[in-house]
Amino acid sequence: MPTTAAQRRGAGPGPVVRHCGPLPLLAVAVLCAAGAFAVRDWWQAAGALAVQALCLPLVVGDVRAAVRRLLPLALAALSVGWSTVLAGDSADPLWTALTAALRLVVLVLPGALLLGWLDAAEVGDHLAQRLRVPGRVVVAVVVALGRLDALVDSWDQVAAARRVRGLGPGRGPAGRVRWAASTSFGLLVDAVRGAGRVSLAMDARGFAGEGAGRRSWALPAPWRRADTVLLLAGTAVAAVPLLLRVGGAFLTSTS
Amino acid sequence: MSTTLNRSRAAHRWRTVDLLTAAVLGVAFGVVFWGWGILYTSLTPLFAAVPFVQSILSGVWLLPAVVAALVVRRPGAALLAEMTAASVEALMGSHWSTGVLVSGAIQGIGVELAVALFAWRRFGPAVAVLAGVLAAVLEGVYELFAYYAGAWTLGFQVLYVACFAVSGALVAGLGGWALVRSLARTGALSAFPAGREHRG
Amino acid sequence: MPDLALRGLTVTTPAGRTLVRDVDLDVATGERVLLAGPSGAGKSTVLRALAGLLEEDVEARGDVRLDGREALAGEVGLLVQDPLDALVAETAGRDTAFGPENAGLDRPGTWRRVARAHAAARYPAGRDREVRTLSGGERQRLALAGTLAADPAVLLLDEPTSMLDAPTAAAVRAAVLDAAGRDRGLLVVDHDVAGWAPHVDRVVVLGAGGDVVHDGPAAAAGRSPTGTGDLWWPGVAAPTPLDVPAGLLTPALDPGGGDVLHGEGLGLVRTRRGLRPRPPATVLSGVDVALPTGALTPVTGDSGAGKSSLLALLAGLAAPTSGRLLAAPALAGRRGRRAPHTWTSRELAARAGWVPQFPEHTFVAATVRAEVAVTAIVLGRDTGRGEALLELLGLSGLADAHPFRLSGGEQRRLALAGALAAGPALVVADEPTVGQDRGTWAVVAGLLAAAVRDGAAVAVGTHDGPLLGALGPRAGTAVRLHRGVPAEVAA
Ligand SMILES: Nc1ncnc2c1ncn2[C@@H]1O[C@H](COP(=O)(O)OP(=O)(O)OP(=O)(O)O)[C@@H](O)[C@H]1O
Ligand SMILES: Nc1ncnc2c1ncn2[C@@H]1O[C@H](COP(=O)(O)OP(=O)(O)OP(=O)(O)O)[C@@H](O)[C@H]1O
Ligand SMILES: [Mg+2]
Ligand SMILES: [Mg+2]
Repeated sequence: MPTTAAQRRGAGPGPVVRHCGPLPLLAVAVLCAAGAFAVRDWWQAAGALAVQALCLPLVVGDVRAAVRRLLPLALAALSVGWSTVLAGDSADPLWTALTAALRLVVLVLPGALLLGWLDAAEVGDHLAQRLRVPGRVVVAVVVALGRLDALVDSWDQVAAARRVRGLGPGRGPAGRVRWAASTSFGLLVDAVRGAGRVSLAMDARGFAGEGAGRRSWALPAPWRRADTVLLLAGTAVAAVPLLLRVGGAFLTSTS
Repeated sequence: MSTTLNRSRAAHRWRTVDLLTAAVLGVAFGVVFWGWGILYTSLTPLFAAVPFVQSILSGVWLLPAVVAALVVRRPGAALLAEMTAASVEALMGSHWSTGVLVSGAIQGIGVELAVALFAWRRFGPAVAVLAGVLAAVLEGVYELFAYYAGAWTLGFQVLYVACFAVSGALVAGLGGWALVRSLARTGALSAFPAGREHRG
Repeated sequence: MPDLALRGLTVTTPAGRTLVRDVDLDVATGERVLLAGPSGAGKSTVLRALAGLLEEDVEARGDVRLDGREALAGEVGLLVQDPLDALVAETAGRDTAFGPENAGLDRPGTWRRVARAHAAARYPAGRDREVRTLSGGERQRLALAGTLAADPAVLLLDEPTSMLDAPTAAAVRAAVLDAAGRDRGLLVVDHDVAGWAPHVDRVVVLGAGGDVVHDGPAAAAGRSPTGTGDLWWPGVAAPTPLDVPAGLLTPALDPGGGDVLHGEGLGLVRTRRGLRPRPPATVLSGVDVALPTGALTPVTGDSGAGKSSLLALLAGLAAPTSGRLLAAPALAGRRGRRAPHTWTSRELAARAGWVPQFPEHTFVAATVRAEVAVTAIVLGRDTGRGEALLELLGLSGLADAHPFRLSGGEQRRLALAGALAAGPALVVADEPTVGQDRGTWAVVAGLLAAAVRDGAAVAVGTHDGPLLGALGPRAGTAVRLHRGVPAEVAA
């Protein structure tokens, strides 16, 4: 039997988290996002962020790739902070804005890094075998995600064909928008037709058959010790904002 | 002895093309959004002075759900497509990471509610607009609380959701409906009832 | 294992056109049958009907039986034309396992089946190889393995070797024959009757009207059964290219004498974007090319050698990452720009015509007629040429059809018509003769020859030897690639 994606990841170098399966990765990402909802004050967010920062070496393998994944987050945090300054009504708009921005980082950061370790096919195996998500749906989504690269190539092809036929982007923003819209449409047509052809090929290999209900899975979906460790540690990190808030309330009430 | 030989079509069972078309629509929109990335980020600074109306652009994110619902016409198609589009964004690294998965579910459910009201029987422009509005309102409220920490004044919050709803009605609703019609005219939807209705 | 029997298949479109008329076809266990016929005859339609996978908007009457009963899912295995559509997983092993998974096999059984299928299809690379990194021939064999792993009683294949170079095609053909063995039926659709004839028991020919016009052993070498002269029978020589009226393809912009396009030391590095970005790959390096006016320049090489990549550079669709590619001064765009990739879309369209290798992704209009006219309309040129081209290519009867509805061979001819209709001075054609019968082949070859005669520069990427032979005398300096570099450098 060939190796699972987690085993292949584990064989190479990288941070500890590479040994983990997809379900705890997803669970921790979601829990950490949920934990951020407990943030009320800037120092709670800052505390949670500090704990998350301490965990970074366990999660980040390629620093450059991580920075690339986090860049959109930085922009989003700025935009949330700025809009809160404009639209907020608190007495202390700057602190409110800072809280909102930091809270967003606490909410998004763990997921942004953890989801980078996911492998679509592996997620599918685990969802179907461990969580009993219907197999046909899982397979369809995994196959569709697997066509993403083909669709990106197809975007290039559609754009190239339009360019050489004289339908390329004209000058000026209006021309560009029109071009983007018509190229996107070409891509959608290609995608839908491709979906028809692939489902034909899948049916020809027995996907449509009565037996699809008792579909088997060629690769196992093991739960290993690393998964338990990640889940426990991740839950602890996710709970930090809540602990800080409760602790803070306790301190102010006693003093 | 003579029988028809077309692909079998059971009334309620999801065929493979149904599943795959919904999912691939999700992925394709993921790619389209990615293709638009540059366009979209270049527009953001325009809204620096009035961020509360930026949601007027957000209707596009609802398109996968509306289009899938109108094409596949089965319970769950919108949710499947929107969740797939969200997964693409999450895997590629989006602004909101896991948040985008929750958004996907909320938007998908919004559209499902609208088509469910008509028992999956009607798929005209009015239903499409309703679907866009429902999804937009749910998503707008969720965004205000999840991302903006509910820190805005009520007036601005209402403005934000209202802009979202308008965008949902026009871009996702009418736009999605028109998109399905054009797709049908290319013959790409020949496997679906939508393809036969809009033909020619 | 059971015999497959098709009786009285008739397929009609909603518009009332009959695609296939009253076809009977038998494939016995262990029998090998070739289904041939002119382009657009309905061969692919018959295969889909046999697999129970016809589109829903056509009406099909008839009866398919497997040993007198209805076939179960997966018992009739269809391998679709484009291997990329047949592959459903990211790694080779997982892809082949798809059929056994659907059948509910247990894990050890699944992987035994995968190993057997890989051996039978002569799939050479490992189980953990990513599908996307495989060459065309490897993909084709992996797709075959995937079909075999579902253990079908009858194997249906649609043009399994049309995109492959001769040695790879022979290897895939051997794999197919091997894999089918003598305990399943095999039905292959292919234009290359000569290539398959020594290996099949029967040849069934569909006529242009969609009915069976021949069903029997392959003819003796050098002769074709009556009424099937359009096919590539063994020993039948390639037809002479059609004589196209002079002046039909005269370039709208006069490129002047000399080289229309001249490239030195061209290199191309491609990066794949997508979910998991892959490291950049050098697909071309150090390629010199000159496309003289009124000459044909062949671009040849094995599968994956870089032909399509070079042609895309020549057609201005990508920028070379190294080297220089310049057009003739007479063709300079605004501000004197001479590198094709710097031209605006209209400038490019006014100068170049491109026939893509996979035309089905690149149609831009909703009818065949509009597709041919698009460029001429954008440029304000005469659309009469387009109509004349459709007529020559046998597509005028389909002028109101949607390009996506056409058969594989028809789509490719339409792409050629679209590329030539606006009168380009530079014609770049990628595998223009794939999937053509002798009749349509003669037209395609004739049009390419006419473009050369009328003064365009023509670059053709192809593994069609007879085509280059037929166009030979006016050929420019051929470019032969091997793994992205000129073959003489590689040697
Ligand atoms: N769904 C459809 N609606 C209308 N016309 C169709 C449809 N499908 C196929 N056709 C037409 O039916 C004819 C036969 O198509 P088919 O693909 O079976 O041909 P083919 O013999 O495989 O040709 P080729 O060798 O070029 O691939 C073509 O002229 C095509 O335009
Ligand atoms: N977008 C891309 N990104 C990275 N590599 C690519 C890309 N497109 C093609 N390649 C690789 O470049 C090489 C040359 O491909 P190309 O399509 O030019 O070959 P070809 O000679 O036309 O082959 P064929 O005869 O199969 O059409 C192949 O190894 C291919 O895998
Ligand atoms: Mg065909
Ligand atoms: Mg090629």
